[in-house]
Amino acid sequence: MKTTSLTDYIIERLPEIWQRIGEHIFLTGISTLTAVFVGIPLGILAFYRPGLRGPLLGIVSILQTIPSLAMLVILLALFQKIGVIPAIVALILYALLPIVRNTLAALQGIAPEIIEAARGIGMTEWQKMRLIRIPLGIPVIMAGIRTASVAGVGIATLAAFIGAGGLGEFINRGLALSNTRLIFLGAIPAALLALLVDFVLGFIEKVCDPKRNRHWSHRFRFALKLSIVLIPLFLLIPVFISFSPWSSQTAGSSEKNETKGINVVRIASKNFTEQLILAEMMAQMIEKRTHLSVDRKFNLGGTIICHEALKRGEIDLYAEYTGTGLMAILKLPAMNNPDEVYHRVSEEYLNRFNLVWLEPFGFNNTYTLTVRKQDAVQNQWKIISDLIPMSSKLVAGFSGEFQERPDGYPGFQEIYGFKFGEVHDLDPGLIYQALAKGAVDVIDGYLTDGRIPAYNLISLKDDKKFFPPYYAAPVVREEVLSAYPDLREALAPLGSLIDNTTMRALNYEVNGNRRGISELVTEFLQDKEVL
Amino acid sequence: MIALDQVSKSYDGVSRIINNLSLEVLEGEILILLGSSGCGKSTILKMINRLIDPTEGRIYLDGKDIQQQDPIELRRSLGYVFQGIGLFPHLSIRENISMVPHLLGWPEDRINNRYRELLELVQLSPEIHADRFPDELSGGQQQRVAVARALAADPDYLLMDEPFGALDAITRDSLQQEFLDLKQRLNKTIIFVTHDIIEAVTLGDRIAILHEGRLEQIGTPEEILENPATDFVRELFAKSVKFWKGFKSIS
Repeated sequence: MKTTSLTDYIIERLPEIWQRIGEHIFLTGISTLTAVFVGIPLGILAFYRPGLRGPLLGIVSILQTIPSLAMLVILLALFQKIGVIPAIVALILYALLPIVRNTLAALQGIAPEIIEAARGIGMTEWQKMRLIRIPLGIPVIMAGIRTASVAGVGIATLAAFIGAGGLGEFINRGLALSNTRLIFLGAIPAALLALLVDFVLGFIEKVCDPKRNRHWSHRFRFALKLSIVLIPLFLLIPVFISFSPWSSQTAGSSEKNETKGINVVRIASKNFTEQLILAEMMAQMIEKRTHLSVDRKFNLGGTIICHEALKRGEIDLYAEYTGTGLMAILKLPAMNNPDEVYHRVSEEYLNRFNLVWLEPFGFNNTYTLTVRKQDAVQNQWKIISDLIPMSSKLVAGFSGEFQERPDGYPGFQEIYGFKFGEVHDLDPGLIYQALAKGAVDVIDGYLTDGRIPAYNLISLKDDKKFFPPYYAAPVVREEVLSAYPDLREALAPLGSLIDNTTMRALNYEVNGNRRGISELVTEFLQDKEVL
Repeated sequence: MIALDQVSKSYDGVSRIINNLSLEVLEGEILILLGSSGCGKSTILKMINRLIDPTEGRIYLDGKDIQQQDPIELRRSLGYVFQGIGLFPHLSIRENISMVPHLLGWPEDRINNRYRELLELVQLSPEIHADRFPDELSGGQQQRVAVARALAADPDYLLMDEPFGALDAITRDSLQQEFLDLKQRLNKTIIFVTHDIIEAVTLGDRIAILHEGRLEQIGTPEEILENPATDFVRELFAKSVKFWKGFKSIS
């Protein structure tokens, strides 16, 4: 839909933009406020207990150095929950360092003669803190809160990764679909929000500075201070009320279908185009062919997050690949026969997790090495082994998952017996672009990826049959399947409906032609006369 | 009456910044502690209001050992003018002066009367100066505020640590004169630390001369000028004596 003008594009999405901004403010607001109430007392504690100072600052500094995505995943494992709670906890932990450190610095930074005078006229410790240190330290403490808030607005964009919503939702989706407009739709409001927060807190900082507000009347000062405390609270309350039940687009409330007794099926997807298409297909089939409604929890950040959420019953179904199930989840050795893999995986999933594999969609989206068509023609590359003579000069860009999995680069080196000269770790959403732009020479592509034709790339044949089969199929919780028996019926027509060429074409429609997924899926299903 | 009885102070356990010092401050007098920088003058004041505790010896306030008293109450009962003034920069002049009465829990209207009275006492105007902040006042005015703050709860004793040290000569001179007038009216017992000999002889009823933590001599300015007890005292005053005699003859 390249023809849509930018204004239309934005206007169309305005309601969602507002919703995401609201979620974003909620995430940052709640977490920064909590960090203030935790961080300032910690700073005061560190001030009074020099023995605690080192360990305390050490801990909050280490928290700060944990990469944000790693932090989210750790908290996810800790809370056994996707959504808002781990995201808020992560944001709180990040906000602690500037607040604790600045509080401590503020209290230590008061001129010693002023403190001596305070002691000398007979102030108690508490009076010195309340009447001297804190009022004089306020500008420095406020600067810490400001730093924490602005950083929080940025970090909160990652919350979407674990289904907590916010402006990161657009960025995530944009990355998954390699759609720059969508990325900007999240990134620009986030940047503006950060500037706004910086400005507002900068103003509050000035208001609180005892040097600047000194000649305002007492009442005015009091009213101002009161409003500084109350206005954010009032701002947050409506945001809280409207977003805490988390609208159907956002993940979060896992209890929803149990507590409310509404018949809702929660469908998830990983964060790339094909997953979004498959999830949307399943959603539309269920919506059209059953009385159930669908809660779309799309764009979760990877296999483990989807699988864990499914096991814990936070989602009800998503599309998984047989090879991924076999090796990444069940940790079983690679097998080559597609039917054997499917049966093995179905059996193990049912026994171990009470999860049911439905009939596969039909295509095999295995990994394969992908190169630029131009290079392939020039060097006469057709199969992977053709790369061996030049391998030491080639720069590879692999997704993190591919570099770690036994059926990825580690196993690949064993079977093919060669390595690439350099390997870069790239985001799965960016690797095709990186290859097309010449930043790397070889990537781990998916056989059905629409970006392969879109960027004029080519997949090399797996001549040693190293990559196991990756047939996609819906994986459903058995509990849900028995509660809603018509679910199986509704999804049945999708079985063997899509072959490799079709899937690649669908992916291309989204990545290459920028079609909207929901409309594309409807069109496709109607075309196949299954809807 | 304040009495120091064989007081010593050591920070490192070896060298003594105050060495076996005994002296009495008489009711209603200004006792000057005179000595060069680092001789321990300020330490004595700080020990009297328990900002520092002595290593050895006892200090008595009206006959009671101050080590047995609550330091917070003790400090609130002594007026203290700090070296380098020590006004609270984020509080107005009124709030600075009212701080001790406020800590003592005086009722609002009593505090309001008191700060006006004090500002007038130190020749500042409640209307003009009360709502200003310390850094909006001149050095001399800040010093008056510091004195007013020390007097706020009407203490019997006033400890003054080089209060005029940072002022220019002309301001210092007029403040010293005002201070003497004030002293006449208030009848406080004052311990006043300085390293300025002229200031010492101008203001002091008695002068205690300290050198390397020891008391060299204590007496009225005349006694000391006439009968310096040690070589140190003689040398200290040698230069000033001429001036002092000239000054006396003029006046």
